[in-house]
Amino acid sequence: MRRYGLPGLVVAALLAALVAGADGPVGAQSVPRQLRIAIGIDADRLDPAEQTTTTIANIVDYMFETLVDLHPIKQQIVPRLATRWQVSRDGLTYTFTLRRGVRFHDGTPLNAEAVKFSLERLKDPKVAMALRFLVQPVQSVEAVGEDTVRIRLNKVTPTFLSDLSTTQFAIVSPAAVQRAGDRWRSAPVGGGTGPYMFKEWRRGDSILLERNPNYWGKKPLFDEILFRVVPDAGTRLTQVLAGDVHQAMLPPAPDVKGLRRNPQVKVVEAPSDRVIFVAMNTQWGPFKDVRVRQAMNYAVNKKAILASVLFDLGTVSDSPCPPMMFGYHKVRDGGWPFSPTRAKELLAQAGYRDGFEVNFFTPTGRYIQDFQFAQAIAGQLRNVGVRANVTTMDWPSYVAMIQTPLERTRIQMLVLGWAWPVLDCDGVLYGQFHSSSHPPRGLGPAFYSNPRVDQLLDQQRQEANVERRKALLKEAQETIWNDAPWIWLWSQKWYVVTTRNLDGVLIHPIEKWTALCEPQEPAVGHHCVNWR
Amino acid sequence: MGAYILRRLALAVPTLVGVTVVVFALIRLVPGDPARLVLGLQASEEEVQRLRVQLGLDQPLPVQYARFLGRLVQGDLGRSVVTGEPVTREIAARLPATVQLAVASTLLATVAGMAAGVISATRQYSWVDYLVMTVALFGISLPVFWLGLMLMLLFSVHLRWLPAGGYGTPAHLVLPTITLAAFSVAIIARMTRSSLLEVLHQDYVRTAWAKGLGARAVVLRHALKNALIPVVTVIGLQFGGLLGGAILTETVFAWPGMGRLLVGAIVARDYPVVQGAVLVFAALFTLVNLAVDVLYAYVDPRIHYG
Repeated sequence: MRRYGLPGLVVAALLAALVAGADGPVGAQSVPRQLRIAIGIDADRLDPAEQTTTTIANIVDYMFETLVDLHPIKQQIVPRLATRWQVSRDGLTYTFTLRRGVRFHDGTPLNAEAVKFSLERLKDPKVAMALRFLVQPVQSVEAVGEDTVRIRLNKVTPTFLSDLSTTQFAIVSPAAVQRAGDRWRSAPVGGGTGPYMFKEWRRGDSILLERNPNYWGKKPLFDEILFRVVPDAGTRLTQVLAGDVHQAMLPPAPDVKGLRRNPQVKVVEAPSDRVIFVAMNTQWGPFKDVRVRQAMNYAVNKKAILASVLFDLGTVSDSPCPPMMFGYHKVRDGGWPFSPTRAKELLAQAGYRDGFEVNFFTPTGRYIQDFQFAQAIAGQLRNVGVRANVTTMDWPSYVAMIQTPLERTRIQMLVLGWAWPVLDCDGVLYGQFHSSSHPPRGLGPAFYSNPRVDQLLDQQRQEANVERRKALLKEAQETIWNDAPWIWLWSQKWYVVTTRNLDGVLIHPIEKWTALCEPQEPAVGHHCVNWR
Repeated sequence: MGAYILRRLALAVPTLVGVTVVVFALIRLVPGDPARLVLGLQASEEEVQRLRVQLGLDQPLPVQYARFLGRLVQGDLGRSVVTGEPVTREIAARLPATVQLAVASTLLATVAGMAAGVISATRQYSWVDYLVMTVALFGISLPVFWLGLMLMLLFSVHLRWLPAGGYGTPAHLVLPTITLAAFSVAIIARMTRSSLLEVLHQDYVRTAWAKGLGARAVVLRHALKNALIPVVTVIGLQFGGLLGGAILTETVFAWPGMGRLLVGAIVARDYPVVQGAVLVFAALFTLVNLAVDVLYAYVDPRIHYG
């Protein structure tokens, strides 16, 4: 017995572990002091103005607040740091009244000067604001009184209020920014008004926030929130199962099916505004012919791929613009129909009875199951005679390939996802289908060009009247859909897994989640996270 | 000895300059635009171009390299494209985690590997030998990410003894150390075994047995010390490699080390961080190699540096 002591123990331990199964201790019922959330990437910068990814902007949202909020359920603009606002009849002047008695984390008051400072800062070239074109319409910001701000625009901008709700437009404390200097982007101490305050960023490991005891809105539930950087999806899930964290973003997609049935955890999933598509280079060979592009759409069975390859983590596209965006118009109920027969007919009419060969690029690990669904699509195209050769590459090379101008592009067909921080069809339609979006100026790899669509998209950018603007966007969506520069696939879901005690976590359509009260303005009916 | 070390350190300088040239060229040869990657797909081309100019990426490569070298001699590795922070600060934030893990797993691998190797060599062709070498084979063959996840499932999810990844307390160190050491244990065990076997068959060992020394004295004092040279070499190489970060282990265990910093920088085409991190690796590796050479003289008095 003595001789086999140690190996025996190990075997016993292994057996015990297997027998014990998943019946680990369940988290206590009392509210934990620290809420721990596993995220997939480390922050780059914490300055709200310099945000480029929704995951990090999401963390910044716990510390900083904007003038207005996007209501996550009603999807309309509601008050936050501004309690009300007026728009002049010509649509060029916005006057905001600020919430009284709000203080930044450093104790300085929120006032009109702080708003002016925050918005003017966005034009400073030293601030790396990726979506700077969002501030281009701002001509001047004027502090009219202690709590009144007047913003003048140089052109009518229908999306302006929505733009103001994005993280980049958060109001920061001028004193805190000046005090932090060079350290501001890595340690924004005292700079926000939000329910949590910056405490510590341990690079590659975690970001720690602490409760703002003087928060103007509903008092935050947890003393601290720890965002832990866990790059591996499997490990994130393991940490939730082990009780190390209370919430994890994007566990491995193939596990989601099982997790939905696991009583220990909750899967919170919701549609996002990220459309996933196969762009066809409309100026290359067979794809110059609209019938071929339509045939490609008929050949792909979106529903089957969603069910079997994406574990239902997506919703079939029925318009070039995803639902929940302003101006969305459902062009085709249920998406482009699946009909290999029709596809073959169209291909024959276009002179491709025997099909053709095409390069098909896809990233790996960028979108849910991207490499896997690209292969499924290639398999279905083979059934109608189109031989698509699937190639993948690392993301930087992929982006470099997309940025190549038409004369030198290798693109014939490729997988891409597109999302927009503002819930307005303009983002995807202008960004992908206007002629100005052709690489290298833009990143619309379909090289799609239709003068009528250009005209409609330009007009809607100048149209202040909501109904007329909707009509313009509707026609644009119908025209683009039928021109079929893409294989219309789906908009993908965003999902997190939480311990079962955490209740009320909300997923925003812009790939964010929240474990706070949303929106903060109680008057419009807020919804708060809870611990049960 | 002192003069030898100084000479070696002086010789390291051209090596390191060579490393900067290679890294500088390689990272720029692969496609990818740091400015576009930082600002994202939705940023306008004007904004991306502005950042390129700010970063000096619009300059010809020789100019960029000269600027890099000019800053380097002042101890400045530049600023990260992604975070805007000085590269030295980025590396300083990650190095402690890497050193902890490298030291812990090298210690574990050395102790366990040499013990296994000695046991195996002294009982050649016995079932113990076969068992140890089979386990060693597993250690070499098991993918790190699989072993890591399995250990987590057992010790974190089922038994709840240890945290499932993360950094900070000694408990966080246990599983990544075991995972990372598994490979090194196996290599060191096999090297110790074969090297020791060779020595055990030599005349002086027979003499030692003949003198009537005990097994412990013969094996550990006489044989093992002479078998150590290749083992020390292997340990040095493993340790040097681990100081460069262990990307898979760091990823699986969410360990904030240098491996993830470097791979993250490559994926973002964060040129200054890639250059800085590789330079630091090269310098560390050179130092470890030097230490190994100095150790040779201690292990084997016949080796003498003039």
